[in-house]
Amino acid sequence: MTTFKQIAQVSLIAIVSATAAQAQDLLFLAEDVPAGLNYDGPAAAIPTSQTGMVNVMEPLFDYATNPVNETGLITPDFNTFEGRLVESWSFDEATLTWTLNLRQGVKGCDGATFNADDVLYTFARGKSVSGAAPIGWFLSNVGSIANFTADVFGDESARPLGDEVTKIDEFTVAIRQSEPNALFLPVLTIFGLYMFDKELMDANSTADDPWAHDYTNNVNVPSFGPYCVESWTKDNEFILSANEDYYRGAPAIKRVVMKKVPQSSNRLVILRSGQAQLVQALTPREYDSLKGADGISVGGVLGNENLFVHMNFDVEPFDNPLIRKAVALSIPTQLIIDIAYFGEATAWKGHVPSSYPGYSESATQYDYDPDGARALLAEAGFPGGDGLDAYAEAFQLTYVSEKETTLGPIVNAISTAMREIGFPVTLNPIPQTQYGDRQLVKRDLPFAVNDQEKPIGVDAGYATQLFFVSPESGGLNNMVNYRNVILDEIWAKARVEPDNAKRDAMLVEIQDILMDDVVWAPIVEYTSQWAYSDNLKGMQWHPDNSIRFFDLSFE
Amino acid sequence: MLTRYVIRRIAVGFVQLFFLIVVVFFLIRLLPADPVSRFVGLNPSVEAYALAERNLGLDRPVMVQLGHYLGLLPSEGKGLLQGHLGTSWVTGSLVATEISRALPVTLELLTLAFFSALLISVPVGMIAALRPGGWADKGVFVYSLFAGSQPEFWWALLFVHLFFFTLGVAPAPLGILSPLTTAPPVVTGFVTVDSLLAGRPEVFLEALHHFMLPVATMVFILSGPIIKMVRQNMVRALSSDFVLYARCAGLSRRRVALYALRAAMAPSITIIGILYGFMLGGAVLIESVFSLGGLGQYAIRSILAFDYPAIQGVILVITAISLLVYLALDLIHAFIDPRVTF
Repeated sequence: MTTFKQIAQVSLIAIVSATAAQAQDLLFLAEDVPAGLNYDGPAAAIPTSQTGMVNVMEPLFDYATNPVNETGLITPDFNTFEGRLVESWSFDEATLTWTLNLRQGVKGCDGATFNADDVLYTFARGKSVSGAAPIGWFLSNVGSIANFTADVFGDESARPLGDEVTKIDEFTVAIRQSEPNALFLPVLTIFGLYMFDKELMDANSTADDPWAHDYTNNVNVPSFGPYCVESWTKDNEFILSANEDYYRGAPAIKRVVMKKVPQSSNRLVILRSGQAQLVQALTPREYDSLKGADGISVGGVLGNENLFVHMNFDVEPFDNPLIRKAVALSIPTQLIIDIAYFGEATAWKGHVPSSYPGYSESATQYDYDPDGARALLAEAGFPGGDGLDAYAEAFQLTYVSEKETTLGPIVNAISTAMREIGFPVTLNPIPQTQYGDRQLVKRDLPFAVNDQEKPIGVDAGYATQLFFVSPESGGLNNMVNYRNVILDEIWAKARVEPDNAKRDAMLVEIQDILMDDVVWAPIVEYTSQWAYSDNLKGMQWHPDNSIRFFDLSFE
Repeated sequence: MLTRYVIRRIAVGFVQLFFLIVVVFFLIRLLPADPVSRFVGLNPSVEAYALAERNLGLDRPVMVQLGHYLGLLPSEGKGLLQGHLGTSWVTGSLVATEISRALPVTLELLTLAFFSALLISVPVGMIAALRPGGWADKGVFVYSLFAGSQPEFWWALLFVHLFFFTLGVAPAPLGILSPLTTAPPVVTGFVTVDSLLAGRPEVFLEALHHFMLPVATMVFILSGPIIKMVRQNMVRALSSDFVLYARCAGLSRRRVALYALRAAMAPSITIIGILYGFMLGGAVLIESVFSLGGLGQYAIRSILAFDYPAIQGVILVITAISLLVYLALDLIHAFIDPRVTF
């Protein structure tokens, strides 16, 4: 009996202690926890890994912010850059060299101070292309930092950092570009070029692993961010504690527990019970069900997430512009907004996120028009769809099976509408990895619905180079095999155009071409959403869709 | 005699494992996707693709890859022969480390669930067999139809909604411990055991509390087939000659029932063992609903990500455990049934 009483007392003390600790702790439920903290490592493309990186690491630059939007979220002002680890900067047009004056007195979790050596280390590591996925090199290449060319892959002697990034003194660094390129500052805001703490990285490197990939994949990533890794159990939980020496001030929330709860419905009920304060990756229906719930807010922003139909230019009959236009006119956009996004989406009028600098709405639009679609089909030689059965395989509408809850109603709405017009559409759900392989590597998906392309470089030009420039001209992820010599030429000029007004005009021209050619059939831009306790304040959207816990505080 | 049998079984088990390893190695390479594409998501250039392919070792001939995996090419690095299961392509962690984290969770869940299911199912099956057509028998029939006709994840979600969200008697489905509880130092990997070893009874109680719903869900699902099996075998045993003889000899009803149970348990143990082996990977839905992070969840994640080393590692471990379970079953059979000889 005494033993039982002792156990009960101990349990009570533990519960009371936990409740007291909870006063400053944030319990954040996500679909996973970081699988790695190495942006050049295998887990870099996983969103929850990025959440880990951006809360522990620190960029050289970031965007200023706009006022709070109507749902309570703060959004970035993409036209204004702010220094983070950089205090001030200048650009010499004659030598294409950026001089960065680094912030002094910045301390990491271990007490190490930030200086020019950390910047050089970060770029040297990127150029080493020693990780599984060389994102640091890729972003440097996109920003036209000199000598970050594809030569590094074939020629080991091209890998060491040269005079393109140099240390002027302990707190001054010079970075030279190979050509004028407006993407230089935008790429330095992206997690794939956040700064490492050289001292600790070196301390955790080995002869076999001189750039500490194992350490950053599995243990920690030393940097200068607002939080430090307290504990990390992959597939389970990721606990951060505040870096009290953080140069922008100690974080208001002292401890963050990021917990993996795979089922979105469970994340929802735990939030509703009050045990968690923040959840992400619910379905649109679940977010909708929380609106009006006591003590819970749902915040969202039309950021950079969108939905479009992909038609492969190398596959008949999608090589026919009349067919592509007919498909675009067949898509019941408003129905999709209502049944799949519960009103949290808006018709997409272009090929670039409308919040990005350089976005332009083309005069050519493809609003739902079944009669117009029928007329175009007839003009293409397939009246009422007669003759299209020969292309039945091409009309298999592919989508990611893991996203059935969200995409299921959408593909059903599209296929029903298209069948009424005469297209022989069938559905083809496939696993995410298979979809990625066929989209990125084989590029053989004939017809698909895609809701996962968000250019992390916040710029219409970046999106153009990523998705629409032909591979021969430097296009990177041209999944529909679109090739247009005129567009390639315009982009080649725009990419190195130092005058922003002229560059923007060229980007408008590019976007008009994309709409005329129906390179994608844009459907909607949908709201990126989070649900959280009413007393959690400061929610801010960032283009990588990762929450920065430093932004948050309890009221 | 028994020792020779065990050694022979283990030797055969190794041969089975070897063939399974080779078959799995080739089968997963027939999956309709290229794992390299997942690595180059943000940077899909030709050069980056080639680099990722080289890093994964997929640019080498497939027989060289097999030799490396088996550990037959020491110059290429460690392999199975050196006790190295490889490195996960998703996380960069050692597969052995990841499995050693996930496996105890599943074993703990299954052991608690099977132990509880046996405690409930055997007496219920016995009673149903002793009184055919009685209330227990009818109840078992209705329950078996009811529980067996719904998928386990549906029951799990229903239980979460009822016992956690509505009644508030169960903890949130957040894993084995509350996120705010500091886990005991890992000794065995079993939280219930490690908490006691660390002298932290409050953590032990908390773990049992968190296991309550997942175990209840599994018991609810597993008890159906076990009760049916026990009942059927009991009915058969009760009508056998030795039971008739025992009754004629005037033995008490209780003693006769215990004799019959012993005879009935042998085939029941077989199905329990098979179910245990099956559920090692098959408890994934329960693990997923309750955020337990067990082996089933790890297996599914690995398959969806085409993480070859992790898939191979999981299959190897599940097969090895299943072989050990079957060996244990045979030994238990011998203990229960004196007719069994080796």
